[in-house]
Amino acid sequence: MSAARSWDERGAWRWLRFVVLAGYAGIALVPLLWLALTSIKAATDTTSTTARFIPAAESAVSGAASHSFVPTAAGWTGLHTPLPGSPATFLDFLLSSLIIGLASTVAAVALGTVTAYGFSRFRIAGGKDWLFFILSTRFMPPLAVVAPVLLMYQQSGLTGTHLGLILLYTVFNLSLAVWLMKGFIDEIPRAFEESALVDGYTRTQAFFRIILPQARTGMAVTAVFCLIAAWNEYGFALVLGGQGAATVPVWFAGLQGNISGVPWPVVAAGAVLFVTPLVVFAVLVRNHLLRGMTFGTVKG
Amino acid sequence: MTTAAAPGGGGRSGSGGWGAAAVVAPALILLIAFNVFPLFYNLILSFTSAELGVEGWTWVGTRNYQRVFERPEYSAALRTTALFVFLAVVCELALGFVLALALHRRFAGKTALLTALLIPMMLPPAVMGLYANLLYDGDYGLLNQIISGFGVAPPQWRTDPAWKLTAVLIVDVWMWTPFMLLISLAALGSVPRHLYEAAEVDRASAWMVFRRITIPLCAPLLALAALLRTTDALKQFDIVMAITGPNDQATQTVSALLYQGLFADGKVGRGSAYACVVLVLVIALATVCTRYLDWLARRQGRGA
Repeated sequence: MSAARSWDERGAWRWLRFVVLAGYAGIALVPLLWLALTSIKAATDTTSTTARFIPAAESAVSGAASHSFVPTAAGWTGLHTPLPGSPATFLDFLLSSLIIGLASTVAAVALGTVTAYGFSRFRIAGGKDWLFFILSTRFMPPLAVVAPVLLMYQQSGLTGTHLGLILLYTVFNLSLAVWLMKGFIDEIPRAFEESALVDGYTRTQAFFRIILPQARTGMAVTAVFCLIAAWNEYGFALVLGGQGAATVPVWFAGLQGNISGVPWPVVAAGAVLFVTPLVVFAVLVRNHLLRGMTFGTVKG
Repeated sequence: MTTAAAPGGGGRSGSGGWGAAAVVAPALILLIAFNVFPLFYNLILSFTSAELGVEGWTWVGTRNYQRVFERPEYSAALRTTALFVFLAVVCELALGFVLALALHRRFAGKTALLTALLIPMMLPPAVMGLYANLLYDGDYGLLNQIISGFGVAPPQWRTDPAWKLTAVLIVDVWMWTPFMLLISLAALGSVPRHLYEAAEVDRASAWMVFRRITIPLCAPLLALAALLRTTDALKQFDIVMAITGPNDQATQTVSALLYQGLFADGKVGRGSAYACVVLVLVIALATVCTRYLDWLARRQGRGA
């Protein structure tokens, strides 16, 4: 009796779980699917009052109430057409994003790894306090520094330069890089280095030949998180990027006031192109996502 | 801290000293230059008449602070931000935890489903905010077409002041529920199995097990998740900018108001004063949260 009842209960719970998951997955993933579909529509198909979601050959499309649309590459080719009022195309902004994202990621990971090694392996006066200082910088709201940073940048000619944003993103990501890398380096047994030191390696040699190869996974995970942050950042890019170093999020934001309406197929094509590499990288390090999002405090 | 250097140091564990200081100094100097120095600079600016594009400034005492406390828009932005943060964190945590409960068991395709569900949190908020306008549109938006399909009169997300903040909130919940899901899964996974087995022996009801075992043991990680998300949601700017722009009363968060004050009005001094006020509140909140977390961790250590 009781066994049968508990079996029924389990069946009910299983159904409930399925409904919750399927319902949420549907709601959460439809916008992404819609984004991909929008990128292969003509502009008029994106703003029709009947949702058009069935790609079809020309002959099958009929009337305003039709749910089908003729796929076109216009959105994608629009990515290298300048917008009205600006000589730059999406690809120019993408180049800025690439330069700034890659350079700041390399810098943050390099500096973060070296600093984490220092905190992990040496006794540093006030070491714990310094680590907390480093973490606290991540929680500071950007609005508390935006005005002074803008004035500092204007005085030193860093506004509108790639270097300005590279520096800023490097510093912004440093707290995450140090904390994540410290967790990874702490896990490398000290015995490895110690035997290398006994064999006559210098500390520097031991760092490059023993620690770095062991810390590769950690560095890859850290790099993905730094790249995501730099790639997606909007506020400072808007304020400090100017004409010379405007990144892709700024390009998107600039479309909002477009007099001829937002060119949705181009927006969608740009968005798909812009987010795909990040999603691929993030999927590659998916087992470490939790660790990255909690500054290494939750190993997951 | 896992640094277990032998007393007296010696070559083995690294004795600190100048070599060690040189290793960590560049990062610390950068952080001080870009974080600590601007904070003091900001404090100084808040007592001046500084404006963008205007040469020179004079001391104005506490006038900027008086303005900040007098003008209604400053306190309104604080209230809007507080409401937004509260609703976002509560919705995301509740939804994420329920999803984690549903995802906790093993089943075919679990990894693929989890990976797909996590995608929104990696996307750029500014871009997804702009794209949301296409879905929210009153004439051709997909969302309202679906809502109308159920026979309900859909709201005008982008023009009705009563719905604008909800529109921003929905995008935020869509983007950040995956984070809460991920951390909730880790919390559920950290509950020792033998507690559930013991409860089964004692014939505890499912509700009792949930209330007395699952919730208390998950609480520390969920609190950490709420804290991280709160500090992040307080900065809300990108989605607001994309959906309503910086100067809409219904959605003007503190960051949006500061942006408007700095770049539309050029009032650097007053903006800095406001930033200082907000920073004090944020630090107070962060301190309360960390104290709470600390208390929770110590209680957990004693209890289990």
